[in-house]
Amino acid sequence: MTQTLGELTASTRRLALVGLAKNTGKTETLAVLLRELASSPQGEAEGRRVGVTSVGRDGEERDVIDARIEKPRVRLAAGSLVATTDGLLRASAIAHDLLEQTGVRTPLGQVLVARLRDAGAIEVAGPSAAADVRAVADAMLAHGARQVLIDGAVDRRAASSPDVSDGLVLATGAVLDGDVHEVVSQTRDAVELLRLPLVEDATQPGRRLRALAAAADGSSLLVGVDGEPLPLPRHFILTAEPEQVAQLLDRSPDARWLLVAGALPEDFLISLLHPLKQHRRELTLIVADPTRVFLWGRGPAWFARQGVHLMTLRGIELLALTVNPVAPQSHRFDSVQLRRLLGEAIPGVPIFDVLHADYAGAHPRTGQPAGSDAAGASGPEY
Amino acid sequence: MHDVDLAAVKPYADHLDDGLVQLSFTLPVPHSLAARRAALELAAKMGFDEPEVVHYEQLTEGYTYFVMYGRCTQTVDFAALQGEGFDIEYMSEDEIEHFAQTHLGRRVVVVGASTGSDTHSVGIDAMLNLKGYHGHHGLEGYRCFETYNLGSQVPNGVLLAKALEVEADAILVSQTVTQQNLHVHNLTELVEMVEAEGMRSRMILACGGPRVTGELAKELGYDAGFSKGTEPQHLATFIVRELAARAASGGSDGRAAAASPQSSPA
Repeated sequence: MTQTLGELTASTRRLALVGLAKNTGKTETLAVLLRELASSPQGEAEGRRVGVTSVGRDGEERDVIDARIEKPRVRLAAGSLVATTDGLLRASAIAHDLLEQTGVRTPLGQVLVARLRDAGAIEVAGPSAAADVRAVADAMLAHGARQVLIDGAVDRRAASSPDVSDGLVLATGAVLDGDVHEVVSQTRDAVELLRLPLVEDATQPGRRLRALAAAADGSSLLVGVDGEPLPLPRHFILTAEPEQVAQLLDRSPDARWLLVAGALPEDFLISLLHPLKQHRRELTLIVADPTRVFLWGRGPAWFARQGVHLMTLRGIELLALTVNPVAPQSHRFDSVQLRRLLGEAIPGVPIFDVLHADYAGAHPRTGQPAGSDAAGASGPEY
Repeated sequence: MHDVDLAAVKPYADHLDDGLVQLSFTLPVPHSLAARRAALELAAKMGFDEPEVVHYEQLTEGYTYFVMYGRCTQTVDFAALQGEGFDIEYMSEDEIEHFAQTHLGRRVVVVGASTGSDTHSVGIDAMLNLKGYHGHHGLEGYRCFETYNLGSQVPNGVLLAKALEVEADAILVSQTVTQQNLHVHNLTELVEMVEAEGMRSRMILACGGPRVTGELAKELGYDAGFSKGTEPQHLATFIVRELAARAASGGSDGRAAAASPQSSPA
């Protein structure tokens, strides 16, 4: 692999870093991106103007749930913009100019936007709510940031919604499961979800569905080829029992699509399976974007095989996958093998282990023993 | 308090900075002198100076219970932590009623549950039910609150649907967070579902549980986290103040009406 993650993501204005679980290496990815930005020729020329925010908290010394796990620090160059709380900004002791008081309150205090006068390590804790994250990202762009990096938290995906960000780097890793094939399959399901087919503008049904979605006032609509769409009762998709779903489908024998207004939980998809199979029907569910779908055990391809198809009105641009082959306090996989298996299951997206010796932007880490295993099987824990 | 070095705080027992800690634990070994030796050695490995067994007894066949003292050699920098998080001045029940009447002028709707596979509902019951906790009414007993306690093992979708149905101002969710991802996932999934419904800015999300801290709540995407020692009026204070702050700011500048008094910037 010749390109670095920094080069690959350089043109994405608001870049979201989202993990499939805790300890998949989001913050390590953030640290590598920051290092590459700071050392790139463009970075030098443009005064290294990156903006950083986190939907959780980044740069803390130890994991918030398992204190045995040390976390990477977040080091920002002078001139960087950051959204974090007043207390954390003060605790960093880095000289800065206060640009904005956002009025956003978090359990750790109020979120401020500041420009750092000096380089230094800082804990980053920006807004949590998606709309606030977008507002803070836009504020940093307006204050001159060339790119805003939005770090996710735990397994939260909302930052990757097109309402918030323009592109996504997804972190996966050994922490998902002790079986490498299970890690690959869970990651493949998550990527399938990110890559749901778009409702096309080019076709007549596509244009009609988009128009109906735009006009719908918060209710989900059951749509057939002809006739009036049927609005579903409020919260039906969140709570419907299988019998109610079966009755609904019985009453609407011509329904082909379901425009989902809000969240789409797996329970609802499951409750569609039996009645659809019974009548040899298929149904396509359309969500606003992939972050609205909540799957537990199955991927979109599995549901598609059962006649339940998922589509989206807006897509998410998946730029890269990053891999942490180490599950802290547990097991580790061979990085090369893990990436090979992921690459076979998930074509068309670059896969990085940013701490591995074969990474294009590889950089000797302090604290790593000299001549450490080139196969990466004993890489540092992150 | 006098002469306390807030940059290097140690446990206090008989006099300042003696570092004395009392600890108790059980070892799965028979009650014996060897068991006592084992406890002393373990305390030394924990980093305690002058460990001392003051009491030990057989808990049951093959198990020994210990009470020990030891000197803690570590210190913490309290000064560096003081700026963090909420230092809420809690209101009394009457003050909360009055505050809600003056600043909100309507009833505040709160929906609570233990979600997912969690069967513990004591936390939610203590906060919401009339009986309350520690001699303090739960929110049900306030005139200004309308509460819905959905109990335990509630799926996130059901909790969210109820909150939408009754136009809840706040969702309170209790979860025993362990190092297993599952419990954490239950908590983050609720936040993500509220986002997916487009209701995040309209609802206060609070989580509670024995291991919940402000830091964890932030990480999980909640507006506040409550742990052991929380009394219903603490939760109530947070909710009414936060609602008033949101009403005052409209999401733009809530600093003047902040839910938490912040120490002034350095």
